[in-house]
Amino acid sequence: MHLITRGMLGGLAMALAGSAAQAQAGLTSSPATVSMTATKASTLSVSPTSATATLASITDNSVANVFTPVTVTTDWNLTAGTSVNLVGWFATPAQALANGTDFIPSSKVEGRVGAAAFAPFNSGATGGVGVASGSLLLFSQGVGAGTYQGNRADQLDVRLNLTGTTTVAGNYTGTLNLQAVVQ
Amino acid sequence: MTLAPRALLLVLLGTTAARGAAGQVGQLGQAQILSLVAVGPSVLGVTVTSGAVQSIPSLTDNAVNSFPSPVAVSTNWNLNPGQTASVDLVAYFPVPSQALSGAGTQIPSARVLGRMTTGLPVAYTAITQGPVAGVGTAGGSLRLFTQTINGANKVSSRNDNLDLRLDLTGFPTLPAGTLSGTLTLQAVTQ
Repeated sequence: MHLITRGMLGGLAMALAGSAAQAQAGLTSSPATVSMTATKASTLSVSPTSATATLASITDNSVANVFTPVTVTTDWNLTAGTSVNLVGWFATPAQALANGTDFIPSSKVEGRVGAAAFAPFNSGATGGVGVASGSLLLFSQGVGAGTYQGNRADQLDVRLNLTGTTTVAGNYTGTLNLQAVVQ
Repeated sequence: MTLAPRALLLVLLGTTAARGAAGQVGQLGQAQILSLVAVGPSVLGVTVTSGAVQSIPSLTDNAVNSFPSPVAVSTNWNLNPGQTASVDLVAYFPVPSQALSGAGTQIPSARVLGRMTTGLPVAYTAITQGPVAGVGTAGGSLRLFTQTINGANKVSSRNDNLDLRLDLTGFPTLPAGTLSGTLTLQAVTQ
Protein backbone atom coordinates (compact mmCIF):
# COMPACT_ATOMS: atom_id res chain seq x y z
CA MET A 1 0.00 0.00 0.00
CA HIS A 2 2.70 2.47 0.95
CA LEU A 3 4.86 1.55 -1.96
CA ILE A 4 2.00 1.91 -4.37
CA THR A 5 0.99 5.31 -2.97
CA ARG A 6 4.58 6.50 -2.90
CA GLY A 7 5.14 5.41 -6.45
CA MET A 8 2.00 7.06 -7.75
CA LEU A 9 2.73 10.33 -6.01
CA GLY A 10 6.34 10.29 -7.07
CA GLY A 11 5.26 9.73 -10.62
CA LEU A 12 2.78 12.56 -10.34
CA ALA A 13 5.49 14.87 -9.07
CA MET A 14 7.80 13.90 -11.91
CA ALA A 15 5.04 14.36 -14.45
CA LEU A 16 4.27 17.84 -13.17
CA ALA A 17 7.90 18.83 -13.15
CA GLY A 18 8.33 17.39 -16.61
CA SER A 19 5.40 19.27 -18.07
CA ALA A 20 6.73 22.53 -16.72
CA ALA A 21 10.10 21.96 -18.33
CA GLN A 22 8.68 20.90 -21.66
CA ALA A 23 6.65 24.09 -21.86
CA GLN A 24 9.82 26.15 -22.08
CA ALA A 25 10.66 25.02 -25.62
CA GLY A 26 8.38 26.87 -28.02
CA LEU A 27 7.28 29.30 -25.38
CA THR A 28 6.17 32.52 -27.04
CA SER A 29 5.79 36.00 -25.72
CA SER A 30 2.75 38.10 -26.25
CA PRO A 31 3.16 40.00 -29.51
CA ALA A 32 4.25 43.63 -29.44
CA THR A 33 3.39 45.83 -32.38
CA VAL A 34 4.92 48.71 -34.27
CA SER A 35 2.56 50.93 -36.21
CA MET A 36 4.08 52.10 -39.47
CA THR A 37 2.81 54.99 -41.56
CA ALA A 38 4.29 56.46 -44.71
CA THR A 39 2.84 59.34 -46.64
CA LYS A 40 3.35 60.18 -50.26
CA ALA A 41 2.78 63.88 -50.74
CA SER A 42 0.73 65.19 -53.62
CA THR A 43 2.79 66.47 -56.52
CA LEU A 44 2.16 68.72 -59.49
CA SER A 45 4.86 69.77 -61.88
CA VAL A 46 5.39 71.43 -65.26
CA SER A 47 8.47 70.74 -67.33
CA PRO A 48 9.17 72.42 -70.66
CA THR A 49 11.58 70.65 -72.99
CA SER A 50 13.30 73.94 -73.63
CA ALA A 51 13.59 77.04 -71.54
CA THR A 52 13.87 79.23 -74.59
CA ALA A 53 11.58 79.93 -77.51
CA THR A 54 12.87 82.15 -80.28
CA LEU A 55 11.52 84.19 -83.16
CA ALA A 56 14.30 85.00 -85.61
CA SER A 57 12.68 87.91 -87.39
CA ILE A 58 9.61 89.93 -86.46
CA THR A 59 7.17 90.84 -89.17
CA ASP A 60 5.16 93.95 -88.40
CA ASN A 61 1.43 94.11 -88.98
CA SER A 62 1.22 90.33 -89.14
CA VAL A 63 0.41 87.23 -87.15
CA ALA A 64 3.18 85.33 -88.88
CA ASN A 65 5.43 85.68 -85.87
CA VAL A 66 5.52 82.22 -84.35
CA PHE A 67 8.15 81.26 -81.82
CA THR A 68 9.80 77.88 -81.91
CA PRO A 69 7.43 75.40 -80.27
CA VAL A 70 8.03 74.05 -76.81
CA THR A 71 6.76 70.77 -75.49
CA VAL A 72 5.40 71.08 -71.98
CA THR A 73 4.94 68.02 -69.78
CA THR A 74 2.53 68.33 -66.89
CA ASP A 75 2.72 65.64 -64.22
CA TRP A 76 0.36 65.17 -61.30
CA ASN A 77 -0.14 62.79 -58.39
CA LEU A 78 -3.10 63.92 -56.36
CA THR A 79 -5.50 62.85 -53.67
CA ALA A 80 -8.24 65.35 -54.41
CA GLY A 81 -9.45 67.91 -56.91
CA THR A 82 -11.50 67.89 -60.09
CA SER A 83 -9.14 69.41 -62.63
CA VAL A 84 -5.53 70.16 -63.45
CA ASN A 85 -5.10 73.50 -65.14
CA LEU A 86 -2.09 74.87 -66.98
CA VAL A 87 -1.76 78.63 -66.98
CA GLY A 88 0.65 80.82 -68.94
CA TRP A 89 1.16 84.31 -67.64
CA PHE A 90 3.33 87.39 -67.86
CA ALA A 91 4.26 89.10 -64.62
CA THR A 92 3.76 92.57 -66.12
CA PRO A 93 1.13 92.34 -68.85
CA ALA A 94 1.91 95.76 -70.28
CA GLN A 95 5.53 94.75 -70.81
CA ALA A 96 5.36 91.12 -71.88
CA LEU A 97 8.37 91.62 -74.15
CA ALA A 98 10.75 94.57 -73.98
CA ASN A 99 13.24 96.12 -76.32
CA GLY A 100 14.72 98.83 -74.17
CA THR A 101 11.79 101.13 -73.54
CA ASP A 102 9.68 99.69 -76.29
CA PHE A 103 7.23 97.03 -75.15
CA ILE A 104 4.89 94.46 -76.57
CA PRO A 105 1.96 93.91 -74.22
CA SER A 106 0.64 90.46 -73.38
CA SER A 107 -2.53 91.21 -75.31
CA LYS A 108 -0.43 90.93 -78.49
CA VAL A 109 1.13 87.66 -77.43
CA GLU A 110 -0.98 84.63 -78.22
CA GLY A 111 -0.67 81.01 -77.26
CA ARG A 112 -2.25 77.63 -77.82
CA VAL A 113 -1.71 73.98 -77.01
CA GLY A 114 -2.39 71.31 -79.55
CA ALA A 115 -4.94 72.19 -82.18
CA ALA A 116 -6.62 74.89 -80.15
CA ALA A 117 -6.99 78.35 -81.62
CA PHE A 118 -4.50 81.02 -80.66
CA ALA A 119 -5.70 83.24 -77.86
CA PRO A 120 -4.08 86.29 -76.26
CA PHE A 121 -2.55 86.30 -72.79
CA ASN A 122 -5.04 88.81 -71.48
CA SER A 123 -7.22 86.76 -69.18
CA GLY A 124 -7.32 86.71 -65.43
CA ALA A 125 -5.80 84.26 -62.98
CA THR A 126 -7.02 80.67 -62.64
CA GLY A 127 -7.19 79.24 -59.16
CA GLY A 128 -4.98 82.06 -57.94
CA VAL A 129 -2.35 81.41 -60.59
CA GLY A 130 -1.54 84.20 -63.03
CA VAL A 131 -2.10 87.92 -63.12
CA ALA A 132 -5.04 90.01 -64.15
CA SER A 133 -5.12 90.69 -67.90
CA GLY A 134 -1.86 88.84 -68.40
CA SER A 135 -2.82 85.20 -68.28
CA LEU A 136 -4.09 82.41 -70.52
CA LEU A 137 -5.58 79.12 -69.45
CA LEU A 138 -3.84 76.67 -71.76
CA PHE A 139 -5.73 73.54 -70.75
CA SER A 140 -8.04 72.19 -68.09
CA GLN A 141 -7.76 68.44 -67.57
CA GLY A 142 -10.48 66.74 -65.55
CA VAL A 143 -9.24 64.37 -62.84
CA GLY A 144 -10.86 62.03 -60.35
CA ALA A 145 -10.56 58.57 -58.87
CA GLY A 146 -8.44 56.56 -61.25
CA THR A 147 -6.89 59.61 -62.86
CA TYR A 148 -5.40 61.28 -59.82
CA GLN A 149 -2.04 60.08 -61.03
CA GLY A 150 -1.15 61.06 -64.58
CA ASN A 151 0.68 63.27 -66.98
CA ARG A 152 0.33 64.84 -70.36
CA ALA A 153 2.65 66.42 -72.91
CA ASP A 154 1.51 69.34 -75.01
CA GLN A 155 3.10 71.38 -77.67
CA LEU A 156 2.89 75.03 -76.77
CA ASP A 157 2.88 77.47 -79.65
CA VAL A 158 3.36 81.14 -78.97
CA ARG A 159 3.12 83.93 -81.50
CA LEU A 160 3.03 87.71 -81.68
CA ASN A 161 -0.08 89.19 -83.21
CA LEU A 162 1.30 92.45 -84.53
CA THR A 163 -1.64 93.26 -86.72
CA GLY A 164 -1.78 97.06 -86.74
CA THR A 165 1.50 97.29 -84.87
CA THR A 166 4.96 98.50 -85.90
CA THR A 167 7.89 97.52 -83.78
CA VAL A 168 11.28 99.06 -83.20
CA ALA A 169 14.29 97.21 -84.57
CA GLY A 170 16.12 95.22 -81.97
CA ASN A 171 15.69 92.23 -79.71
CA TYR A 172 12.50 91.88 -77.72
CA THR A 173 12.81 89.59 -74.75
CA GLY A 174 10.40 88.48 -72.07
CA THR A 175 9.49 85.69 -69.73
CA LEU A 176 6.38 83.59 -69.97
CA ASN A 177 5.55 81.72 -66.79
CA LEU A 178 3.96 78.30 -67.01
CA GLN A 179 2.26 77.02 -63.89
CA ALA A 180 -0.24 74.31 -63.15
CA VAL A 181 -2.92 74.43 -60.49
CA VAL A 182 -5.46 71.94 -59.20
CA GLN A 183 -9.03 72.97 -58.71
CA MET B 1 11.01 37.51 -10.06
CA THR B 2 8.92 37.15 -6.95
CA LEU B 3 7.63 33.96 -5.44
CA ALA B 4 4.06 35.16 -5.44
CA PRO B 5 3.12 34.18 -8.99
CA ARG B 6 4.74 30.81 -8.75
CA ALA B 7 2.56 27.77 -8.25
CA LEU B 8 3.43 25.69 -5.23
CA LEU B 9 2.61 22.03 -5.08
CA LEU B 10 3.18 20.04 -1.93
CA VAL B 11 2.85 16.30 -2.09
CA LEU B 12 2.49 14.87 1.40
CA LEU B 13 2.94 11.22 2.07
CA GLY B 14 2.43 9.00 5.15
CA THR B 15 -0.39 10.73 7.02
CA THR B 16 -2.42 7.55 7.12
CA ALA B 17 0.53 5.57 8.56
CA ALA B 18 1.12 8.18 11.32
CA ARG B 19 -2.43 7.86 12.60
CA GLY B 20 -2.15 4.04 12.79
CA ALA B 21 1.08 4.17 14.87
CA ALA B 22 -0.27 6.47 17.62
CA GLY B 23 -1.21 3.66 20.03
CA GLN B 24 2.11 1.71 19.84
CA VAL B 25 4.40 3.18 22.56
CA GLY B 26 8.13 2.97 21.74
CA GLN B 27 7.62 1.44 18.41
CA LEU B 28 9.17 3.29 15.52
CA GLY B 29 7.18 3.81 12.43
CA GLN B 30 8.58 3.40 8.99
CA ALA B 31 10.27 6.54 7.66
CA GLN B 32 8.08 8.30 5.18
CA ILE B 33 8.93 10.52 2.25
CA LEU B 34 7.82 14.10 1.87
CA SER B 35 8.20 15.21 -1.71
CA LEU B 36 8.06 18.91 -2.45
CA VAL B 37 7.63 20.11 -6.00
CA ALA B 38 7.46 23.85 -6.73
CA VAL B 39 6.61 24.74 -10.30
CA GLY B 40 7.66 28.19 -11.46
CA PRO B 41 6.12 29.27 -14.75
CA SER B 42 8.50 30.41 -17.45
CA VAL B 43 8.42 34.04 -18.42
CA LEU B 44 9.07 35.54 -21.84
CA GLY B 45 8.11 39.07 -22.71
CA VAL B 46 8.67 41.69 -25.40
CA THR B 47 8.02 45.37 -24.89
CA VAL B 48 8.45 48.27 -27.25
CA THR B 49 9.79 50.95 -24.96
CA SER B 50 9.83 53.69 -27.60
CA GLY B 51 9.19 54.10 -31.29
CA ALA B 52 6.01 52.06 -31.36
CA VAL B 53 4.65 54.52 -33.89
CA GLN B 54 6.86 54.97 -36.92
CA SER B 55 6.12 57.57 -39.56
CA ILE B 56 7.63 58.89 -42.77
CA PRO B 57 5.96 62.20 -43.49
CA SER B 58 7.02 62.45 -47.13
CA LEU B 59 7.98 59.43 -49.23
CA THR B 60 10.35 59.72 -52.15
CA ASP B 61 9.79 57.41 -55.08
CA ASN B 62 12.61 55.27 -56.43
CA ALA B 63 14.71 55.84 -53.32
CA VAL B 64 15.42 54.46 -49.88
CA ASN B 65 13.19 56.05 -47.24
CA SER B 66 14.28 55.59 -43.65
CA PHE B 67 11.99 55.87 -40.68
CA PRO B 68 13.49 58.67 -38.63
CA SER B 69 13.82 56.99 -35.24
CA PRO B 70 14.53 53.43 -34.12
CA VAL B 71 12.15 51.06 -32.38
CA ALA B 72 13.52 50.38 -28.89
CA VAL B 73 12.72 46.80 -27.91
CA SER B 74 13.15 45.23 -24.48
CA THR B 75 13.04 41.44 -24.22
CA ASN B 76 12.91 39.76 -20.82
CA TRP B 77 12.84 36.12 -19.77
CA ASN B 78 12.95 33.73 -16.83
CA LEU B 79 13.70 30.27 -18.20
CA ASN B 80 15.08 26.87 -17.31
CA PRO B 81 18.42 26.61 -19.11
CA GLY B 82 18.17 22.84 -19.02
CA GLN B 83 15.15 22.97 -21.22
CA THR B 84 15.74 26.12 -23.24
CA ALA B 85 18.59 26.58 -25.65
CA SER B 86 17.81 30.07 -26.90
CA VAL B 87 15.45 32.98 -27.14
CA ASP B 88 14.72 34.33 -30.60
CA LEU B 89 13.10 37.64 -31.41
CA VAL B 90 11.14 37.70 -34.65
CA ALA B 91 9.58 40.60 -36.55
CA TYR B 92 6.88 39.80 -39.05
CA PHE B 93 4.01 41.12 -41.10
CA PRO B 94 0.79 39.09 -41.01
CA VAL B 95 0.28 39.56 -44.77
CA PRO B 96 3.70 39.93 -46.43
CA SER B 97 2.32 41.10 -49.77
CA GLN B 98 0.59 43.98 -48.02
CA ALA B 99 3.03 45.09 -45.36
CA LEU B 100 1.81 48.63 -45.83
CA SER B 101 -1.33 49.49 -47.71
CA GLY B 102 -3.40 52.51 -48.56
CA ALA B 103 -3.99 55.01 -51.34
CA GLY B 104 -5.09 52.11 -53.49
CA THR B 105 -1.77 50.30 -53.40
CA GLN B 106 0.42 48.06 -51.26
CA ILE B 107 4.07 47.88 -50.31
CA PRO B 108 5.21 44.26 -49.76
CA SER B 109 7.42 43.21 -46.89
CA ALA B 110 10.22 42.65 -49.42
CA ARG B 111 10.42 46.45 -49.59
CA VAL B 112 10.56 46.86 -45.82
CA LEU B 113 14.05 46.48 -44.44
CA GLY B 114 15.12 46.12 -40.86
CA ARG B 115 18.37 45.97 -39.01
CA MET B 116 19.39 45.36 -35.44
CA THR B 117 23.03 46.24 -34.99
CA THR B 118 23.07 44.37 -31.69
CA GLY B 119 21.38 41.36 -33.23
CA LEU B 120 21.53 39.25 -36.37
CA PRO B 121 20.64 41.55 -39.26
CA VAL B 122 23.39 44.07 -38.59
CA ALA B 123 22.87 45.40 -42.12
CA TYR B 124 19.48 46.32 -43.49
CA THR B 125 17.70 43.13 -44.51
CA ALA B 126 14.37 42.61 -46.22
CA ILE B 127 11.63 41.15 -44.05
CA THR B 128 11.22 38.13 -46.28
CA GLN B 129 12.35 35.23 -44.13
CA GLY B 130 10.26 32.36 -42.84
CA PRO B 131 8.91 31.73 -39.35
CA VAL B 132 11.17 30.85 -36.44
CA ALA B 133 9.87 27.98 -34.32
CA GLY B 134 6.40 28.68 -35.58
CA VAL B 135 6.53 32.42 -34.98
CA GLY B 136 6.16 34.62 -38.05
CA THR B 137 4.84 34.22 -41.55
CA ALA B 138 6.36 32.65 -44.63
CA GLY B 139 8.16 35.28 -46.67
CA GLY B 140 7.26 38.02 -44.22
CA SER B 141 9.53 37.53 -41.23
CA LEU B 142 12.95 38.59 -39.99
CA ARG B 143 14.87 36.98 -37.13
CA LEU B 144 16.26 39.87 -35.14
CA PHE B 145 18.39 38.05 -32.60
CA THR B 146 19.14 34.66 -31.11
CA GLN B 147 20.11 34.76 -27.45
CA THR B 148 21.71 31.63 -26.04
CA ILE B 149 20.31 30.70 -22.63
CA ASN B 150 22.51 29.25 -19.91
CA GLY B 151 22.76 29.27 -16.15
CA ALA B 152 24.26 32.71 -16.09
CA ASN B 153 21.46 34.42 -17.96
CA LYS B 154 18.44 32.25 -17.28
CA VAL B 155 16.77 35.25 -15.71
CA SER B 156 17.69 38.28 -17.72
CA SER B 157 16.72 40.83 -20.35
CA ARG B 158 18.21 42.75 -23.22
CA ASN B 159 17.52 46.00 -24.98
CA ASP B 160 17.90 46.47 -28.71
CA ASN B 161 17.12 49.06 -31.33
CA LEU B 162 15.37 48.11 -34.53
CA ASP B 163 15.90 50.43 -37.49
CA LEU B 164 13.38 50.33 -40.32
CA ARG B 165 13.34 51.68 -43.84
CA LEU B 166 11.42 51.36 -47.09
CA ASP B 167 13.38 50.61 -50.21
CA LEU B 168 11.39 51.97 -53.12
CA THR B 169 14.25 51.71 -55.58
CA GLY B 170 12.73 50.52 -58.83
CA PHE B 171 9.31 50.37 -57.26
CA PRO B 172 6.41 51.82 -59.26
CA THR B 173 5.60 55.42 -58.50
CA LEU B 174 3.33 55.53 -55.51
CA PRO B 175 0.05 57.35 -55.69
CA ALA B 176 -0.25 60.26 -53.32
CA GLY B 177 -1.72 59.37 -49.99
CA THR B 178 -0.95 57.51 -46.79
CA LEU B 179 0.02 53.87 -46.41
CA SER B 180 0.00 52.11 -43.09
CA GLY B 181 0.80 48.72 -41.64
CA THR B 182 1.66 46.86 -38.46
CA LEU B 183 4.89 45.07 -37.74
CA THR B 184 4.61 42.40 -35.05
CA LEU B 185 7.47 41.58 -32.69
CA GLN B 186 7.37 38.30 -30.85
CA ALA B 187 9.90 36.22 -28.93
CA VAL B 188 10.04 32.44 -28.89
CA THR B 189 12.17 29.90 -27.06
CA GLN B 190 13.82 26.92 -28.67
